[in-house]
Amino acid sequence: MSKLSNKVMTIDEALSCLPQSGARMLMGGFVGASEPTCCINWLIEHGIRDITLITNEPGLSGFGRAKLYEQGLVREIISSHVGTTEESTLKYLEGSLKVEQYFPMGTLAEKVRAGAMGLGGVLVPVGVGILDQPGLFPDLEQPKQVLNVNGMDCFVEPAIRAPFSIIKAWRADTMGNLEFRYTGLNCNAIYGMAGDYTVAEVEEIVPVGAIPPERVGCPGPFINAVVQGLSLEEHNELYRQHWLKIGKLKAEDEEVRA
Amino acid sequence: MNARELIARRAAQELKDGQLVNLGFGMPTQASNYLPEGVHLMFHGENGVIGVGPRPAPSQAQADITNAGSEPVTLVPGAAIMDLCTSLGAMRSGLLDVTILGALEVDQHGNIANWAAKREGKWWPGMGGAMELCYGTRVCIATLMHADKKGNSKILKNCTLPLTGRGCVKTIITDKAVFQVGDGHLILKEHAPGVTLEEITALTDADFVVADDFHEMTF
Repeated sequence: MSKLSNKVMTIDEALSCLPQSGARMLMGGFVGASEPTCCINWLIEHGIRDITLITNEPGLSGFGRAKLYEQGLVREIISSHVGTTEESTLKYLEGSLKVEQYFPMGTLAEKVRAGAMGLGGVLVPVGVGILDQPGLFPDLEQPKQVLNVNGMDCFVEPAIRAPFSIIKAWRADTMGNLEFRYTGLNCNAIYGMAGDYTVAEVEEIVPVGAIPPERVGCPGPFINAVVQGLSLEEHNELYRQHWLKIGKLKAEDEEVRA
Repeated sequence: MNARELIARRAAQELKDGQLVNLGFGMPTQASNYLPEGVHLMFHGENGVIGVGPRPAPSQAQADITNAGSEPVTLVPGAAIMDLCTSLGAMRSGLLDVTILGALEVDQHGNIANWAAKREGKWWPGMGGAMELCYGTRVCIATLMHADKKGNSKILKNCTLPLTGRGCVKTIITDKAVFQVGDGHLILKEHAPGVTLEEITALTDADFVVADDFHEMTF
């Protein structure tokens, strides 16, 4: 298929190329916000297991990615954190979810960006003298390498790419140009560009030309498949109900501001 | 006033008009409820936003306008959205003026530990964006209870847990006292209402000197 052809397809069509076991994949989202929810549900329905998941943090309990850990489908997580969901914490502490090392959030983002942009890696000063201390990450095959550049000690952080990437955007045109909405951008564009095969789950699919070129957050040629997920209004309603339930939205605010 | 509110109120006094600020979760976030009059700040969220505003009414909340804890927020006029590379890069490169962080331990060298404790032999839960904050932010303020539930000091000569930042903490605010970080020792600046110097001394493992202007916190 050409990089410029129509990429709209069903989730079945988009994800059927995944191996049943052992897929290494990037996944967008930030603590439960802007995750590819429908694709995650497909992974669960099809029992896609032993996943190595490269993701900013594990997610939010009860939402999207958290269900992958709950179902025991993730073998290893490469991330900045393991404790943002109870599901990931539980699997980690019982020994069924591997964490080889943690990366500071900005380090992980830059490693993936480097992978997306065809670089070998990045030089990162954050954590030198801390994250390379003996005993912290005893399972590392090789110690973290430090280079002094411009007088600054930096870790040599190899780039990260993955055979698969699943991300979420606001809307896509049929060529796969993606537009992001507010903080839904987070790492979705970068992660989308670092997959050999990238699926974008979107709230709305529009004709080519509908997204102003300067509003394209991830160019279509990076994207292999566009699938329809929940709509913006469905997402808003889902999160409003969640936030009301946990007290992060207050019904009385409505009256005050009405 | 309970201990956590006292810490949040005292931490709020460290914030100055016009600053770009990142507040950690818990007591640091509470500090935004007690800003001194006339202090207007821009809040940064590491999920990719400068200009985080207050909680919206339910009908205005949107799934993709959230803070770093995935809570619904508004965006203030002048807000800017960015991807995670830019958001964390801004933290690393020194764009933020001040951060208030929760801590598990701090020490007399200005070190802070807040991302890992050992659970069942494993380090948990991870640093998220806390190391970038400590690395790049001009002023790091650590907030924590002075001692654990058994009475063991959390204000140490040397942190025992994996560090989040080295030598970055300028001010330590606890439920008992306020310290500035000096050259290899702490400087005791303030005590909480009703707390004596003897009590602070007994609860503090770190070496400290008492400032000439040592006084009670004011609210």
